[in-house]
Amino acid sequence: MNWFDSALAGPQWLLLGLVPVAIFLLYFLKLRRTPVEVPSTFLWTKALEDLHVNSLWQRLRRNLLMFLQLLLALLLLISCLRPGCQGTQLQGTRFVFLVDQSASMSATDTTSGQSRLDFAKDEAIKTIDRMKKGDSAMVIAFSDVSRTIQSYTTNGSLLKNKIRSIRQTQRSSDIIEALNAASGLANPGRTSDRASGRDVQVAESKPATMFIFSDGAVKEVPEFFLGNLTPEYRPIGSFEPPNNVGIIALSVSDPIENDSQLQCYARLFNSDDQDHSVKVTLNVEGDIFDAQSVDVPRNGAVGLVFDLNSLLSGLDQPRRIHLVIEDDDVYMQDNEAWSVINPPRESNVLIISAGNEYLDLVTETSRITEVANVFREDVGFVGSEKYEEQTTLGFYDLVIFDGCAPDKMPLCNTVFWGSAPPGEDWKVAKVTEPTSIIDTNASHPLMLASQMTNVNVLKSSVIEGPKGSVSLVDASDGSIMRLGTRGGFQDLVIGFAMQTITEDDEVAINTDWMTKLSFPIFIQNTMMILGNGKNYQASVGGQPGELLKFRTSLPFDTVNVIGPEGRKTKLLPRPDKTFVLNDTSRSGLYAIQAPVQDSVDIVLPVNLFDRNESNVVVRDKMTLGYKELAGEIASEPTRQQYWMWFLLLALVILVLEWYIFNKRILL
Amino acid sequence: MIETATLADEPLLSPALLAQLERMELVSRKIFRGRMKGERRSKRKGQSVEFADFRNYVPGDDLRFIDWNLYARLDKLLLKLFLEEEDLHFYSLIDVSESMRFGTPTKLHYAKQLAASLGYIGLCRSDRVKIEALDGAAASGAPVFRGKRSLGRMVDYVQSIDTSANVPLADAVKAFCLRNRGKGILVLISDLMDKTGYDAALKFLVAQNMDVYVIHVLSQEEIDPEILGDLKLVDCEDHDTAEISVSQRLIDRYRATLAAYIEQTRDFCQRRGIVYTMTSTERSVDRLVSRYLRHQGLVR
Repeated sequence: MNWFDSALAGPQWLLLGLVPVAIFLLYFLKLRRTPVEVPSTFLWTKALEDLHVNSLWQRLRRNLLMFLQLLLALLLLISCLRPGCQGTQLQGTRFVFLVDQSASMSATDTTSGQSRLDFAKDEAIKTIDRMKKGDSAMVIAFSDVSRTIQSYTTNGSLLKNKIRSIRQTQRSSDIIEALNAASGLANPGRTSDRASGRDVQVAESKPATMFIFSDGAVKEVPEFFLGNLTPEYRPIGSFEPPNNVGIIALSVSDPIENDSQLQCYARLFNSDDQDHSVKVTLNVEGDIFDAQSVDVPRNGAVGLVFDLNSLLSGLDQPRRIHLVIEDDDVYMQDNEAWSVINPPRESNVLIISAGNEYLDLVTETSRITEVANVFREDVGFVGSEKYEEQTTLGFYDLVIFDGCAPDKMPLCNTVFWGSAPPGEDWKVAKVTEPTSIIDTNASHPLMLASQMTNVNVLKSSVIEGPKGSVSLVDASDGSIMRLGTRGGFQDLVIGFAMQTITEDDEVAINTDWMTKLSFPIFIQNTMMILGNGKNYQASVGGQPGELLKFRTSLPFDTVNVIGPEGRKTKLLPRPDKTFVLNDTSRSGLYAIQAPVQDSVDIVLPVNLFDRNESNVVVRDKMTLGYKELAGEIASEPTRQQYWMWFLLLALVILVLEWYIFNKRILL
Repeated sequence: MIETATLADEPLLSPALLAQLERMELVSRKIFRGRMKGERRSKRKGQSVEFADFRNYVPGDDLRFIDWNLYARLDKLLLKLFLEEEDLHFYSLIDVSESMRFGTPTKLHYAKQLAASLGYIGLCRSDRVKIEALDGAAASGAPVFRGKRSLGRMVDYVQSIDTSANVPLADAVKAFCLRNRGKGILVLISDLMDKTGYDAALKFLVAQNMDVYVIHVLSQEEIDPEILGDLKLVDCEDHDTAEISVSQRLIDRYRATLAAYIEQTRDFCQRRGIVYTMTSTERSVDRLVSRYLRHQGLVR
């Protein structure tokens, strides 16, 4: 048992240790009384009544003040040692404290009624109190990212202060990053010695005990290798399934794709082992729009639909949707969700072609004209002043280059059909024939419902795209249709033309795709996805902490972001005229408005929507690599501190000393 | 207002004091038989010229004292009684402990002056005067003085008395009592600052059936100490120490203790027929003798 927990460093102790010696010396210096010869001390001693007491007590009484001062100093010294007991010392010399600060740690199902995070912090501090002198420890706080709050130190006070500084986040949990940080010194990396070709240990491994203070709602990490780390899982919260119903999804349908119906879908999840009936309110622009009472089965989810058709008329501004579960439970963060209905926006698409009747035909259909304004220009338009102006200012959402290419890439999405984009990023090989299509990336939205197996292509070029580009159609020699990203834009390059001009200046058909059903579907997909076709769907959103990349309606030089708390921040665009919002720590709506605009340009919803976090049941086991950790919910034995009693006693001694001193003077 | 006592380097007895003392005589409250005929009318009837009374003649009386004139007139034999004049034994004991060196003038000087003064009164009345220092010596070197002629010798002797080794008061008095069996007046001049107590000493004197006077001499520093600060008081006799931090309360308490001590001594003396007088060295000897001791009945 560690009786003392020193609050001072070595030199400070040395200084403090000199205090009693100084008192002793000073007292005797002070005691050097002036000797005065008198006829007799008879009457004086009688007056003092000193000779009547025992000589030992007499001596003690004579030096009573000094003894009291020494006692006072001793009590102060003991106070500084911070005496205490009832704690068991931790085994080991190095410790890592992993504290979960994810959203689910805000649940208030602990025995003391405080939040799980506060409870976890208290438990971690109690564990630090049990460390031996000279033990070192580090503190890591984690949600979906990890942060090393304090690297290895032997300073217990510093560790405790750092643990107290951990704040609640609204993020999801992912422990792997924290584990990697924790194992840094315990399992130092190995490197291969090139000369010998062997693995070499780069540093000496330092085993450590790792305490994980979490509710266990973390993603499993089966690949993690514990090595020299000895994990101890301290579950925080109650193993009893807590009362919690949360929103795990909220979305708004697109009327264009949904039979002109504007609807809001939500999904509620009940992590309790009892059925719950909750009242759900949908607010639009702060006003109650609809409310429903929903029965959510135990350990199950239920869907909700709100009809928002009445909002369709006069929808010229983004409408903020706020869904609230009115019933309180232990975890309040998932009781709210936000979404946005954006007004429909028409896109501008430019087709530059020497003349392509198939393309003209398909883009003149009502389905296409409903979602986009299609402009057609001849090949000679490329390079003109108007072209430069319109492609630089962002007038077009999509430019389709049919058999032609500009000198430089326009600031919008592009489709290069049978031509090579400028620059080094794209490589279009020589035309080969025949071409046999062997695979289509059917999962990609652009190829949605586009059946290509019945399409024949005569001549095609294999395309190599920039890093990160994906192949949509593969032929026998390689990819003949690729989609790549360029800043905030997307470029689609198709390695085969629809028609070619023969040497006799005659138009020759290169593919029969235009006669297939998949062609108009593909064009529609292109208009919707690359052309940002007219839609009602919610703006791009994300989870708390996620980087949100967005493009404003016009290429503004600066925009203001108004966060959920009403805080206004300024944001500057990137070179490609897109903006990146990185401060999304809180759930809610982030309104984007340019200083020159009267109204909000875009609203970005940020929601956690994490079923794992909404399931606030405390996991009694945690799997790290091949090891399964079982944890028990038990409060750490608290270290009983007695130093305040010693301090109080010192105060009493001081008062007594003051009284005796005064009594002697006034005697 | 108390007159300031004479300084230590002055002669013990000034001419003015001598003139004043010559008119006084020592009075004994008890009837003592002197060894020699003195110039004192004692309460005992005897042979002298001063008539005292008549009484009836009884056989065996000295026929020389029959008043024949009365016999002629009254036809009765009456005897004439005369006051007998006799000498008186006067002892003066001076405490010569170290503590007597204190005070301005010193208590010892004051005691010597007082002893010499009372001794001179005795010399003038042809009393037997003996002044002894209480040094505990078994054999006293103190001479006996008688008659005014002895004044010079007496003063010289008294002048020669000095403080000696510290002897408990009781031991010194006991030694005196063993040497001097005679009755008479005894004046003990002491500061009574003996840690073994004065009781035994006074009891010895009372047992001698002497007419005992105790003159308690204290210096002004003892009566009203003017000391300040944190002090270590060292006893001049036994070198005992007492550490004190002087405060008004302590001074008050000391005064109270002193007053209680004086009162206790006075009470002790009164119970045993001893006349007790407390005096300060600041009170002049002639004033003490002429006023206080006369009031006490030692002189008239």
